[in-house]
Amino acid sequence: MTGLLLVKLRRDLRATWSRLLLMVVAIAVSLTVFGGVLYGWAVMSREAGSAYMGTEPASATILFDRPIEVERMAAIVAEVRKRPQVIEATGRTQFTGEVQVNGNLRDIPLQVFVATPDDPLRVARFNVEQGSWPPSPGDIFIGRDSLTLLGVAVGDTVTVETPSGERARLRVADTVYDPSLSPSPQEQMGRGYLSTASLPTSGGRAVLDQLKIQVSDPGQASPSRDRAAVVAIAGDVGALLQREYGLAIREIQVPPPYAHPHQWQADALLGALLAGGAAAVLLSAILVANMLNGLFTQQIPQIGIMKAIGARSGDIGRLYLAMTLSVAAAATLLALAPAVLIGRALLNQVFGFLGIKATSFDAPWWVYVVILAAGLGLPPLMALGPLARASRTTVRAAIDHRGVGSDSSAATGVLARLGRIRFLDRGLLMALRNTIRRPARFLLSVGLLASAGTVFVAGVSLSAGVGAIEQEQTQRRNWDVDVQLASPASLDEVTPVLARVQGVERVEGLNTAPAGVAGTGQIPVTRTYPDQGHGRVSVTAVSAGTTTVTPPKLLEGRWLDAGETGAVVLNQITRTNTVPGVRAGDTVQLLVGGRVTTWRVVGIAEERMGGGGVYTTAEGLAAAMGQPQRVNQLRIATDAHDEQTRAAVAIAVDEALTGAGIKVGSAISVSRREAISAGHMGPIISIVLAIAIAMGVIGAIGLASTMSANVLDRTREFGVMHAIGALPKAVRRVVVAEGVFVAIASCAVAVLPAIALTALLGAGLGNLFFSAPLPYRISMPAVGIWIALVILGAILASEAAATRASRLTVREALAYL
Amino acid sequence: MGPAIQVIDVVKRYPLGAGGFTAIDRLSFDIAQGEFVAIVGRSGSGKTTLLNLLAGIDRPTSGTVHVAGADLGSLSESGLAGWRGRNVGLVFQFFQLLPTLTVAENVMLPMDFARKIPIGERRDRALQLLERVGVGDQADKMPATLSGGQQQRAAIARALANDPPVLLADEPTGNLDSTTADAVLGLFDDLNADGRTIVVVTHERDIRAIVGREVTLMDGRVVADERASAGVPA
Repeated sequence: MTGLLLVKLRRDLRATWSRLLLMVVAIAVSLTVFGGVLYGWAVMSREAGSAYMGTEPASATILFDRPIEVERMAAIVAEVRKRPQVIEATGRTQFTGEVQVNGNLRDIPLQVFVATPDDPLRVARFNVEQGSWPPSPGDIFIGRDSLTLLGVAVGDTVTVETPSGERARLRVADTVYDPSLSPSPQEQMGRGYLSTASLPTSGGRAVLDQLKIQVSDPGQASPSRDRAAVVAIAGDVGALLQREYGLAIREIQVPPPYAHPHQWQADALLGALLAGGAAAVLLSAILVANMLNGLFTQQIPQIGIMKAIGARSGDIGRLYLAMTLSVAAAATLLALAPAVLIGRALLNQVFGFLGIKATSFDAPWWVYVVILAAGLGLPPLMALGPLARASRTTVRAAIDHRGVGSDSSAATGVLARLGRIRFLDRGLLMALRNTIRRPARFLLSVGLLASAGTVFVAGVSLSAGVGAIEQEQTQRRNWDVDVQLASPASLDEVTPVLARVQGVERVEGLNTAPAGVAGTGQIPVTRTYPDQGHGRVSVTAVSAGTTTVTPPKLLEGRWLDAGETGAVVLNQITRTNTVPGVRAGDTVQLLVGGRVTTWRVVGIAEERMGGGGVYTTAEGLAAAMGQPQRVNQLRIATDAHDEQTRAAVAIAVDEALTGAGIKVGSAISVSRREAISAGHMGPIISIVLAIAIAMGVIGAIGLASTMSANVLDRTREFGVMHAIGALPKAVRRVVVAEGVFVAIASCAVAVLPAIALTALLGAGLGNLFFSAPLPYRISMPAVGIWIALVILGAILASEAAATRASRLTVREALAYL
Repeated sequence: MGPAIQVIDVVKRYPLGAGGFTAIDRLSFDIAQGEFVAIVGRSGSGKTTLLNLLAGIDRPTSGTVHVAGADLGSLSESGLAGWRGRNVGLVFQFFQLLPTLTVAENVMLPMDFARKIPIGERRDRALQLLERVGVGDQADKMPATLSGGQQQRAAIARALANDPPVLLADEPTGNLDSTTADAVLGLFDDLNADGRTIVVVTHERDIRAIVGREVTLMDGRVVADERASAGVPA
């Protein structure tokens, strides 16, 4: 490119700075979102992977139906470690119960992980922050993220009740960082770490009921990534334990290998956000190509002159390529630092979501390369067509160029007939005709805005769908306090005790028990993580006449009949995770309380949150277990539904039941469950909204630039309007009306895509998170907000262009080159 | 030495409506080196179309156009651009200076494209040319600050940038007052005195006093071809 063309480029950039600035902002905003997410995703993948795998998680945990003594477990561990593909094994146990801190009962339960003092922690390890494993007898380590939740500090005394029913007073000696678990605050559960030496055994020996193994692929030394292979090896080990040691196996837990409990949610969220960011970058690149096309069109007379005095297409092409690259480079430079900041902010959220302490927030080099490539490469790529067209403009085409095409399209022909209508405002009619005067540009502008509107409405509607699940849960929850009994009791025994508690209005009982689900003759295999909260299956026995259990939506079969026995309803998540392919009418085995029983599946229910996954009647469970009907979960409705009443009743119920000799595991307000739910859904909603907002910004810039380009294109035309007597006010009104017509057209065009995209995203994300589509909701507030925003944006964007058009003098307009 | 411009049996037809519109109808004529020719005629007679054909802006429907030793029909668009830069200076009615370059830069730009003049000499040459056309003192101003006459002089200087043997001007005085128009035509006369071939499309009735030959077109055909020296139709 010649030096003078560089001078021209510099001055052209200066002369058109406002439009170029819009282009730079459009690319910079989208690139910032895309780059930020890419940064976060790259660092999260690296850090989450290394933090989680740094704990050497067990490939499988084999749960015994009854605990065995430590010495026997050691012998089994030694034997199992000799088996092919088993690279590590250890015996453990864990329990969850009420906790007192310095003598004060907490309404948060404590989940306690127990290992022997001599456990080398080569598998399922955790990081003791100050000292080292094992804690001294009488000491307990507390998860670092549980300290605030439980209101406990190092040096305090906590009292826990062991599975044997004994109380253990323990000194908090240290804190533990355990990135293999989801964060305590999200699960609303404290975590403690004990050695068997700290557990009271009433003179007996310490017992363990979990065999954790790490499984490799044949000939490999690292844990297998193949869950099916892990299930097979763990199944072999389970069969060996049953056969050789006479042990009853309650369940084999095989969580997804190499994946933190929240990893896939984080991956899915960041993947969705990355896709949104990439779509925004693509949209902004299309927008910039559109704007550059307008700019090149405006320059056609100059291109013609340059061609007339000897410029070749290559000279012109290089000039405008340099202009495009200048815009791309400015936007990329502008986006880089905010992208890093957004990435780091996102990482704070994601690591909080995963409960991971990152060793470094620095992104790998390729992240910067991708951002630079997207920022510098995509706009020129998208502008290639307009650029080639502009550079090939002949002198003749430049001479013939009159700005906006004067050819009438079919659409304007139709609109021409509107002119016959009397009293129709000529200015509005002119605006309407101008709006679709260049069909390609009109469609591009409308398409761009409609795309942004579609994503905005679909994004917010998705949030509404997610919100609907929570609302559904809250609406179904027609009680106020959840009580978990330490051991089952008769409802007839419990009810009179609670009737005396002030504030209690109604009491219902349920019996829930951890359960394994398997096909006939198989050991139940679940995807349960060590926190027992993710992927856990339990059977819920529903009492006849219950008002607190609403039958869920059924995908097939039917709900339970009152009092029927031998029948179960599975939800779709449990079916997928345990007995895929089972249908209503098939038979499954449930392992509950060490007893294997056979059941007929009468229905498959659809549940998105909550529920243990297996439902039967109280009579059915009692008959299967050979026991009288008992309950271990109470649902209490209080006379007032404020948090204060709920909390007070929970404490009073706990005291009353304990006083009556009925041991209570926990008694908490249902608000606590809502907090757990919000802990999981909060990041999803904020991230979906972030995508929608980014798309909205791009759309708004698109509209502003389109209007600006439309006015510039018709500079001469406005001069003519002034020359034949148009007042500035009239010119302004025509231009603003054009913008509003484009906005309204885009809203109309966005209706069907928004409906379809909402359904598509709702089905995709819902199936990903809940194995069922999200409830279909179109957010009417989002529709209203977008229409208002797009029309307001159209008026504002057009106003600037309209002011320019209305202030043009006839001379300026006609001399315009 | 052959003619500077040779037009042989040229037809230019525009596809307008049924049958089209013939702007140039089987036109043939030569223009010798160093001639100063005015093409005159009423609106729609084909004057500008003819000039565009001579400049390689338009291509004939049939026939051949030779200008400055090149058969324009054999050149590509890019080839035509390069050829124009070296051999033809174009002057337009509305001056058409690039608004974001100074007057001197506008004159230097064709030199950059053609690369005929050494880089170090381009500005000096531009200033000399501007001086010659009488706007040397406006060299570093932006075109918008100049009067119409000054802009047209600058445009003529730009047309001379690469010292082309042929100068083509389309209504160069059409947008100027009569005094300025006379001055511009005088300038063309001076340039012709240097031996340059000049073809001017114009409405000016008084041009016959300056040019050596006046070709009158009507409906795309030559209806008169008068040489000043001979004073009789060719």
